[in-house]
Amino acid sequence: MKSWGIILLLPCLLWAQPEFFGYFESEADVMQLGAEKYSFGYNKLRVDLETRPNDNVLIGANINVQQYWGQTTWNIYDFIPGYANIGSEMNIHLPDTILLDNVYMKISFPKLDLTIGKQQISPGVGYAWNPTDIFNAKTLLDPSYEQTGVSVIQFEIPINSRSSLSGVFKPEYNWDNSTKQAWLNSGLGRFDYSITAAEYNWESTRGLIYQYESLENRSLAGVSIVGEAFGWGLWSEFAYNHIEYYSGPEVWVSSFYYAPDVDFNEIVVGVDHTFDNSVYLLMEYLHNDYGKSVLDELNIYDYLFSLSGNARSLMQDYGFLYLMHQTFDFVSLSAIAIANFNDGSGSVGPQVDWNIYQDTNISLQSNFSWGADNTEFGLQDWGLRLRLSSNF
Amino acid sequence: MKYRLVLISLFLFSMIQAQDKLAINIIQAVTELMSPENMKSTGTQTIVTSSGKTRTFEFESYMGGKGQSSLTRYTKPAAIRGQAFLTLNNADDIWTYFPRTKRVRKLASHAKKQKVQGSDFTYEDMGSGDVFMTKFTPKSQGEEIINGDICWKIELIGIPEQDPPYPKIVMWARKSDYSPVKLDYFNDNDFNSKTLLLSDIKIIEGLPTAMKVLMVDHKEHSSTSMETLEATYKWEPPKGFFSERSLKK
Repeated sequence: MKSWGIILLLPCLLWAQPEFFGYFESEADVMQLGAEKYSFGYNKLRVDLETRPNDNVLIGANINVQQYWGQTTWNIYDFIPGYANIGSEMNIHLPDTILLDNVYMKISFPKLDLTIGKQQISPGVGYAWNPTDIFNAKTLLDPSYEQTGVSVIQFEIPINSRSSLSGVFKPEYNWDNSTKQAWLNSGLGRFDYSITAAEYNWESTRGLIYQYESLENRSLAGVSIVGEAFGWGLWSEFAYNHIEYYSGPEVWVSSFYYAPDVDFNEIVVGVDHTFDNSVYLLMEYLHNDYGKSVLDELNIYDYLFSLSGNARSLMQDYGFLYLMHQTFDFVSLSAIAIANFNDGSGSVGPQVDWNIYQDTNISLQSNFSWGADNTEFGLQDWGLRLRLSSNF
Repeated sequence: MKYRLVLISLFLFSMIQAQDKLAINIIQAVTELMSPENMKSTGTQTIVTSSGKTRTFEFESYMGGKGQSSLTRYTKPAAIRGQAFLTLNNADDIWTYFPRTKRVRKLASHAKKQKVQGSDFTYEDMGSGDVFMTKFTPKSQGEEIINGDICWKIELIGIPEQDPPYPKIVMWARKSDYSPVKLDYFNDNDFNSKTLLLSDIKIIEGLPTAMKVLMVDHKEHSSTSMETLEATYKWEPPKGFFSERSLKK
């Protein structure tokens, strides 16, 4: 959001004597990528402001101040195997930022909740992947990290104690280009389910290379279900997607760059369980038709789509595993493993989380990759992440 | 001689029957006391680990439908501010809300055994309702004095088909007002794994209310105390209050 938004809104919020809370987070990373070793990190201050003028109105905002250090300019091609590169450099710079991450007002009527403004939208039941989520791209090594807000109008109409109809509208310069998504949420026995439909536009990453705007008109129909069977938590999220490419210079609509309409399905199936010894296990499987099934078929666009979040995954079939155990007083040991079943690569990341003091956490996460050098995870060797956070 | 034996057997049988009926009546009274129609409260929760480290939380809690539904929202400390969980059907259905990601997760029944915020209470322990009536068979074990109060001692044996939270619970409830003052929880090995102590019982709006509750974990050598700061039974939940909608507020 532009700075005038902050200038206008902050005095209003401050005048309303909001509650202040938030956290400070500092992260240091080391990563071995091929022959190069990179060190980088950030310091982040997040300030949350919240005020309730009355029982039915909530006004909130989150401001992120983030300062990067170490390697702050990244060449995208370093994350793409050489055979798929069509250039030598495509740099992305991470500038220090002051960001109004969220600013919203929620009004609750007896039969309607209305939230207007920049806000987090987190649909879906999957942990690592959410095929029905058109707003966010999760980081697999930290899927539960907060997401950036989206400027939308959101409504929720309760139908009964277990059912509701909700929707999101993200206005653009005209109706066709605006994002629309609706959900019908309900439950049946021990299961909750949600049916959703969406229409939206994404700027395709293919335009990045040659600096032109390429819009994809996308539509989605999906369903998610969560419940349990035989003492195991069980969930699934499915999305049918249709992509229609409708803009971009004609010159690029050649046989190589021609992009016909695409229909594809994405499905996530997950289970979780807490064993008698308190070990928590979560497993998810993703199948994404939009990804490639064979390594040799990958091209630069596939990598760019995947890195930018235009595609949920680079290839078709993935597994995700999360293990956690509260081993000592306020210390938990956990591990994340991700596997790409199509190219045989993967990554495993043991982690230690220590609630060192009340409201202060320190975590050490490592990740080690396997697979050939030209595979998705095999491209990277290892990484180490130290994160310190303190809430106030 | 045979006639006398039959008479003694009949007498013993009727005594056992009477004791069981007494136990059922006591558990009914305890359940009614512990499951008021509605309740709204605020309180603190302090975890003391085996090494003496402490963590303190503050929360607001809502209960409805005679304990069938509950909603608990943490207000402090900052790290978990706004985190909430909703239980329906005597904690058979649990949803949690994480404000940092604005995400609601439905937890499967295995999660009922998980510790709430690392405390010695499980989600199942936090639910109440008529669980003692429906998932256990009560047996009277006579009377004992606990903290100067004459108490009924009741053994609750879990009914396996009903998926009881513990295989066995022994409860002591005051004879004067049926307020439970101590509960021993046993695991599958008949080991007394946890003890719940209820104290500082005050009359609030006509109902005896334990202002201090202490759960001691004998295996982990840790404890969690919960102190009620304010409570009212006159709160009426708005229609549809125990829902995901309220969880996200």
